[in-house]
Amino acid sequence: MRNRLIPYLFVSPAMLLLVAFGIVPILVAAVISTTNMNISAFANWNNVDFVGIDNYTKLFNDPDFWQSIGNTGLFALFGVPAIVLISLAVALLLNSSQHPFFKALRAFYFVPAITAIVAIALVWGYLYNTQFGLLNHLLSLVGIPQVQWLSDPALAKFSVALVAVWRGTGLNIIIFLAALQGVPKEYLEAASLDGASSARTTFSITIPLLRFAIFFVSITTTIAWLQFFDEPFVLTDGGPLGATTSASIFLYKEGFRLNQFGYASAGSIVLFAIIAVITLIQLRIRSADDEY
Amino acid sequence: MKRTAKGVLAAVAVASITLGASACSSPAPAGDADGPLTVWVMGDSGANFETLVADSGIEVEVVAIPWDSIDEKLTTAVASGSGPDILQIGLSKLRTFADAGALMPLDDELADHPALSPENFPSGVAGTSTSVGGEIVSVPWTSDTRVLFTRTDILAEAGYDAPPATWDEVREYAKTLTARGEGQYGYYIPQWDAPLPIEIAWSMGGDVIDSDGNVDFDTPEFAKAVDVYTGLYADGSVPVNSDFDQTQGFISGVAPMLVSGPYLGNGISSSAPELDGKWQASPLPEGDGGSVSLFAGSNLGVWHNTDQKDAALDLLEYVSAPEQQLAWYKLTGELPTVSSALEDEELNSDPNVKVYTDQLATAKVLPLVSNWDGAVGTELLNALNAIVLTGADRDESLAGLYAKTAGLSNK
Amino acid sequence: MSTSQLVRDRSLAKRRRVLVILIGAALGVGALVTAFPFFWMLTTAFKPQREAIDYPPTLLPQEPTLEWFVTLFTELDFGRYLVNTVAVVLIGFAGLMLMAMAGYAFAKFEFRGRRWLFFLVLATMMIPIQVTMIPTYLILNGLHLTNTLVGIALPTLVSGFSIFLFRQFMSTIPTEMLEAARLDGAGEFRTFWQIVLPLSKPILAVQIVLTFISGWNSFLWPLIIASDQKLYTLSVGLALLNQQLAVNPSLQMAAATVMVVPILAVFIVFQRYVIQGFALSGLK
Repeated sequence: MRNRLIPYLFVSPAMLLLVAFGIVPILVAAVISTTNMNISAFANWNNVDFVGIDNYTKLFNDPDFWQSIGNTGLFALFGVPAIVLISLAVALLLNSSQHPFFKALRAFYFVPAITAIVAIALVWGYLYNTQFGLLNHLLSLVGIPQVQWLSDPALAKFSVALVAVWRGTGLNIIIFLAALQGVPKEYLEAASLDGASSARTTFSITIPLLRFAIFFVSITTTIAWLQFFDEPFVLTDGGPLGATTSASIFLYKEGFRLNQFGYASAGSIVLFAIIAVITLIQLRIRSADDEY
Repeated sequence: MKRTAKGVLAAVAVASITLGASACSSPAPAGDADGPLTVWVMGDSGANFETLVADSGIEVEVVAIPWDSIDEKLTTAVASGSGPDILQIGLSKLRTFADAGALMPLDDELADHPALSPENFPSGVAGTSTSVGGEIVSVPWTSDTRVLFTRTDILAEAGYDAPPATWDEVREYAKTLTARGEGQYGYYIPQWDAPLPIEIAWSMGGDVIDSDGNVDFDTPEFAKAVDVYTGLYADGSVPVNSDFDQTQGFISGVAPMLVSGPYLGNGISSSAPELDGKWQASPLPEGDGGSVSLFAGSNLGVWHNTDQKDAALDLLEYVSAPEQQLAWYKLTGELPTVSSALEDEELNSDPNVKVYTDQLATAKVLPLVSNWDGAVGTELLNALNAIVLTGADRDESLAGLYAKTAGLSNK
Repeated sequence: MSTSQLVRDRSLAKRRRVLVILIGAALGVGALVTAFPFFWMLTTAFKPQREAIDYPPTLLPQEPTLEWFVTLFTELDFGRYLVNTVAVVLIGFAGLMLMAMAGYAFAKFEFRGRRWLFFLVLATMMIPIQVTMIPTYLILNGLHLTNTLVGIALPTLVSGFSIFLFRQFMSTIPTEMLEAARLDGAGEFRTFWQIVLPLSKPILAVQIVLTFISGWNSFLWPLIIASDQKLYTLSVGLALLNQQLAVNPSLQMAAATVMVVPILAVFIVFQRYVIQGFALSGLK
């Protein structure tokens, strides 16, 4: 007779830490979001007043906030599928041969994911620079005029997203590669004996068997892109004129840089709610495939 | 099975107890009554500070704080009540630190510590110029300002044998220099430089706060400043892309004139020594009100609940002595604030440095309004950049600025 | 085998080879493009200051120098930061086992509240880190863990991302294998240790690399929890070099290189475990 407590015992150490450092802060943020707390609160706690949903109304009336939500949605809409597809494709290609050359290439694809954001900012900021950057230098050699990679509002979104996709694929390629090991070799051999081409095998057998990995990558990439922060922050500081300001950057600037904790907490709760809803939808769609 | 369950429970219990036990053997908190003074120094100047105070007889432990992370550090320190003993405060953050209750008022201490008295420092930064809520909560330490940098060789080729002295001249010279050719400009305006239009307004003889301390941009002098700003763009003399690199622009000659700080001068000297003699710093261009520039830099403050007040004040006096101020300049290139140090002959032997020190005599700090950078600086840039970069209507844009900044005060 | 079959097999093999070569070439080009910024960072780390901001830019350093690396370790205390970073990473590995256990429970057990608890796990991934900053600091302060290496490693000891990852992978372990072990009389913990973990080698390898990376790059917690510079990690050291104007990109690139190279080394060592197949012999 299996002990009913076993699953709880397995889960509790990790959950304890998560609750302390993950859930409790969310609850605290929810409480703070109903106040006007800012840095002066630490000088004198009487400076904090309960304001109910004022922070939320202020937020929803702020056009900059809506612009940032729109930007975030746009980035996620194009960025997440791009990352999932590219990572999957590269993983499948890398896995198509056990030759040492293929194995060596893995490190190259992984490198962007592990490079510190400071280095990325410097390198890409340099590559993209309008007057003095390498990309425009190369373009000028073939007669193309300067491209305003980071200054043109529409193009800046693309440039920033490109860096984020470049960075985001590395980890997911590795996850897909690990998942590909779970595809039983017998199935693949059986298919090729039946005369199926490798393309057909890939689409009809391998990819369906990677469902759980694709699901994982989709959800985590979506959550990450809804919190998009690093790349626009270091490359364009949310500019030009707010074109690349994501919801997280808006929160960071309005709330944390200005130490308006009440306002920032309200924004964080709203962002959290959006992410939670989208994730729940994704979970619902996939709930049939949860069990194996 | 039951045994395994107990085993796991036991492991978790042991882990929690160990965690709790290890917590008790943590080191003594900073700011304790004997022991070195903890000093927060910004950026990578930590080692330099230790060198500076090596002979002071006061034991010091420096903690370096990255410039971009000071908000996080400050917030957690005030939230928990434990901070350093002395901290470096960038002037733009002074109001925030004071509002957080992080700084000890020093008015009563100044009598016993003559080196810290306001008369030792330029009027732009001393005493009431940097007091918050009527209290002096910091002491000036390093200074920074903005002056005009020009490529004298390029100006000479265009027929100008001296840098422009007024804003009208700036505009005229810039137009000529832009005509040099495709991809060439006359003047660079950094799109993130919020103090610049304010410096121009000051040099027109105006101010951005009224006599009651309220922010007020709706003045004729500011309107003239906006004319200069938008005029330069209208002439096509200024690059419009936001990622224009000011150092590269200056070194390559693409943008041979701009207003910047000593850090640019140092950057050019160290990375482009072949340009020596081909560029110079000169006073900020004048308007009707003379040449009035920005007083930036850092002050030093004492943490509000430090246990070592006397030692902290002694250290402040030590670093405010002219010899130490000049020694700091030698170590880091950051200019002193003590007036007698600013007048030092050796310091001023470099003509560019003399320009900086002269400028500091009349420079002003930005108003100590709560959240100046975000509430005012950002709105100012948004309004102006909307006009010059996206063609927004000038009056409408400025009206928006006035509305958003009305009611902000430095009281 | 008939002659026509032999011929067909040989031409199939030849087509496969050509395909593999084409794929290899495409991937190779892709890899070079992908890794180019990294390569740029590496070469800039060896350039003298003047050359680093040269325009038009030089690809390889004309006068390579080691001075920046020397500066990092002699003047800027990077040696100490390195030691601290390694310590934080090692403490992080302790969390790995806790997360594997939790992932396993979510994957293979039915228990009340499982759905909600799992959603809580996901929820922790959805909150911006700055919001967690003050409450976390106050908790650690209460436990007297501020300014300790344990305190620095604790907030990120367990992550929702990793538990989720473990859960996904462990759910593909055939339940029959676990049942078989239990019928044989093995306890739950033994089943976990002797069957589940060995079968999870690829994902464990991934998680080891991930834990290494997150511990190695940790920035926010070391920054605010350490009130003593002696506990700073490499990321914080790198951030100290950020100034208004990038006057010395070579130094920053050298610091960034010091940060990246060990991760790359760990990855290269562990990646063959990631790609090690595990055979599901005999079971469907």
